[in-house]
Amino acid sequence: MSLDNLTSLLLYNDKSPILFNSGFFLFFLAAFLLCYQLVRNSERGRVAVFSFFSLYFFYLACGSYVMLVIIAAIVDFYLSNRIHRETKDSVRKGLLWFSVIINIGLLFYFKYTNFFINCINDLAGGNIHPIQVLLPIGISFYTFENLSYTIDVYRREIKPVDKFMDYLFFLSFFPKLMMGPIVRAADFIPQIRRPYVLSKEDVGKGMFLIMNGLFKKVVISDFIYQHFVQYIFDDPARHTGIECLLGVYGYAMVIYCDFSGYSDMAIGIARWTGFVIPPNFDKPYQSSSITEFWRRWHISLSSWLRDYVYIPLGGNRKGKFRQYVNLMLTMLVGGFWHGASWNFIFWGGVHGGALAVDKLWAGWQKKREWLRATPLRAGLWKIGGVLFTFHLVCFCWIFFKSETFAGAWELLGQVTGNFQGHLLSEVLAGYPEVFMLMGLGYLLHFLPSKWDEKLSLGFSNLHWAGAAAVMVLFIWMLNEVKTQEPMMPIYLQF
Amino acid sequence: MSSGNKHPYPLLITMGAIVGLAAVSFLKPVVSAGNYTLRPLDIFADLRTPAPVTETVTDTALLAAADTARKADSLHRAPLPPRDYLTYPGILDYGYTTGPSGAGMHHFVEALRQLRTGSRKKVRIAYFGDSMIEGDLITQDLRDSLQAYFGGEGVGFVPATSVVSGFRTTITHSFSPNWTDYHFKNSPPAGVELGISGHAFMPAPESWVRFQPVKRQRLDEFGEVSLLYGKGAGQVKINDQPAELHGNGNLNAYSFLADSATRSLTFKFAGEQKVPLYGVCFESGNGIFLDNFSFRGISGIELGKLSSDMWKQVQSVRPYDLIVLHYGANVLFMPENTRFDWYERPMEKVVDSLRRYFPQSSFLIVGTADKSYRKNGKYVTAPGVKALLKVQHQFAEENGMAYWNLYSAMGGDGAMARWVEGEQALANKDYTHFNFRGASKVGALLYKAIMDEFRQEAM
Repeated sequence: MSLDNLTSLLLYNDKSPILFNSGFFLFFLAAFLLCYQLVRNSERGRVAVFSFFSLYFFYLACGSYVMLVIIAAIVDFYLSNRIHRETKDSVRKGLLWFSVIINIGLLFYFKYTNFFINCINDLAGGNIHPIQVLLPIGISFYTFENLSYTIDVYRREIKPVDKFMDYLFFLSFFPKLMMGPIVRAADFIPQIRRPYVLSKEDVGKGMFLIMNGLFKKVVISDFIYQHFVQYIFDDPARHTGIECLLGVYGYAMVIYCDFSGYSDMAIGIARWTGFVIPPNFDKPYQSSSITEFWRRWHISLSSWLRDYVYIPLGGNRKGKFRQYVNLMLTMLVGGFWHGASWNFIFWGGVHGGALAVDKLWAGWQKKREWLRATPLRAGLWKIGGVLFTFHLVCFCWIFFKSETFAGAWELLGQVTGNFQGHLLSEVLAGYPEVFMLMGLGYLLHFLPSKWDEKLSLGFSNLHWAGAAAVMVLFIWMLNEVKTQEPMMPIYLQF
Repeated sequence: MSSGNKHPYPLLITMGAIVGLAAVSFLKPVVSAGNYTLRPLDIFADLRTPAPVTETVTDTALLAAADTARKADSLHRAPLPPRDYLTYPGILDYGYTTGPSGAGMHHFVEALRQLRTGSRKKVRIAYFGDSMIEGDLITQDLRDSLQAYFGGEGVGFVPATSVVSGFRTTITHSFSPNWTDYHFKNSPPAGVELGISGHAFMPAPESWVRFQPVKRQRLDEFGEVSLLYGKGAGQVKINDQPAELHGNGNLNAYSFLADSATRSLTFKFAGEQKVPLYGVCFESGNGIFLDNFSFRGISGIELGKLSSDMWKQVQSVRPYDLIVLHYGANVLFMPENTRFDWYERPMEKVVDSLRRYFPQSSFLIVGTADKSYRKNGKYVTAPGVKALLKVQHQFAEENGMAYWNLYSAMGGDGAMARWVEGEQALANKDYTHFNFRGASKVGALLYKAIMDEFRQEAM
């Protein structure tokens, strides 16, 4: 063991930013919980320790960009208080816009500058050089948190916090810093005042969520992505339609497990520290309509878009046509939020269009009660809805995942024009572990929630030593999966 | 668990887990079920100084050209400075070791020179490979550069049907779904002879295949067209004009001149007769032409399945001045394996017989590209790469052929990982195959290596 290695671990390294599923995080968490224990009876102490560890976590994730979160906290803390005190509407509006411009401006500078430079170059034949900046981790999340907070204060829905440290703590809260959920200040800040009390259910639930998240991320998402899905999206033309289709089904599981797994870990760690964050995903592929899908997928984002984009645009209060336009605009914003590329915009656009069509479709169905008159009909209708919604979402994932439109069309071309379904058994035999885990992922996804409750209750009833033993065995198993030699792709001779 | 405030639990569970995992890391218990043993766990891995990776060099630097120099025919060029076949990025020519009629680059370079001076109309290259050159990857760039310099237009050989026709950008190629494709990996019935692409395509009634030129320089119109077919007689309609096929030899060509205004050529077969079809070649009257013979998933030894008659006929129907053998990806399916006995002998036989079938042609063995695999969480060059390069180099050296080490031209050790993970990816995440950009780069590297030979000989 060497001191140099220890020092380099404690400093930011752009090659290996900290992740929940890295070995180092376990030590980080232990050090944090130890300090948190020491100050557990003091509200200010808890806030200070938590903020310090959060900022340190942020530093480990993206180096000096930690300053951005501090600056953002200072600006919004100050502006929100000013807005709250101000009585003149025009001044309040001006301050609000100022906050919005600063937040969106920073986000745009880091995330979208090159996208627009490329657009200008393409349209006007310009030759502007792209800027060389790294994307600060989590900026999309805390920018939205800042915006919702300032807007809520402006709407007089909440009172701004009067202690700067509380606001910094809320914004930098490390469990949700990198990958969300997008937490609302109104839900979070009152919890700071509560004493640090954990029931056995809190401990069990937290442990269940942390393990569930790690399982989803490491065992399912990373594994099937590294050993199968990435090969397909990397070069669809080398694979048959059946492989491409399975690759898309795989990716649907990958993105869900990756994203929701991270959210679960965040919510679980928060729970262990005495903070309750609402669930961010609710078995989204069980949805039988696209509207339902958006109630179950990345709930903190979809509800944010609803409250701060869709409703201000007029929501459904300005007639049917405007409602469809608003849905479309909202989803375009949602798509663009995911990343600076036309693919994401297109992805958002298709979802927006689908939501509008779904509204029409729901109206059409309502007038036809007989469609679901018997339990059998209702059941079939539901299954059809689930299958249709899933495939629509999968279709959109193709554009979400492909780096270019050409790649997405190439993959679709393989599925439609070079399907070769007879090779199914060969493909399944080629990657047995991948498809077993994919199957397991979907199976768990369709299990009723009460199974999760049972497991979490089981953890609640464990003595801490038993729980630690479970953790040891679990992490040992993760290590086994993580260190598997990569399975190389099979190029079928068809 | 009793009720009450459980605030210490998260800390205790986390600490307990660390202690337990530390115990597992230090005690290294061997847990196995049947043949499966759990991998060692080390939660302090990040803290340890990694042991230096000892590279096992499979071979001491072999000063290839020193040998060449010793045997050099004084009629030809001065002895080369000593070069290590493992690191030299250019072409190593062993043709001089077997006298002036060796199978090195000499014949090919001479043919290029004659093409430049107008004393010769055509020079042809047969480029054999696996999925690395599928869809005309690598070869399209090499062909284009050579044609730009030496003249010539046209994509060369295109098989009747192909699994990657949609992926190939040098010709628009479509076909009916009712062809039967016999190839290296299924069992062609008696009487159906495979062509040198490793395929023979049998038409059913109304089978058709259509080609359209693409909007790219030197590929935008059809000139001389040859339909290659095997033994048998039959009929084909070419853009609705009937033509008779009479195949007496193992390989026959039905050639015609397409009007330069032809935007599409459709070959329609009655399918009543059993004539195996191989493909269609597109060339112009003058210049250099390169045929891509890719076959997914093979190591090269499959070429031994072709009959000697077929090979011999090739040289009369469609003579080649340079034959390139570019294999390796499918020999390295086990990255840590460094023994290639199973491959060496059969491939040696293939190389040796090709050498005998084409006594006048030049041969170039392309040494495998770098291939990486994940070891201890990092992608590193597979140990098999150098071992295979040694075997491939031996093929060239013992048969007096030319050798080009793609691994070294790519950048040597760890090159594939750099090509995959660079700012602009040049290879796929299988750490084996090049993407379009990377293939272009390889094509350019090979073109440069060939031109260096050409210019060197011209001096």
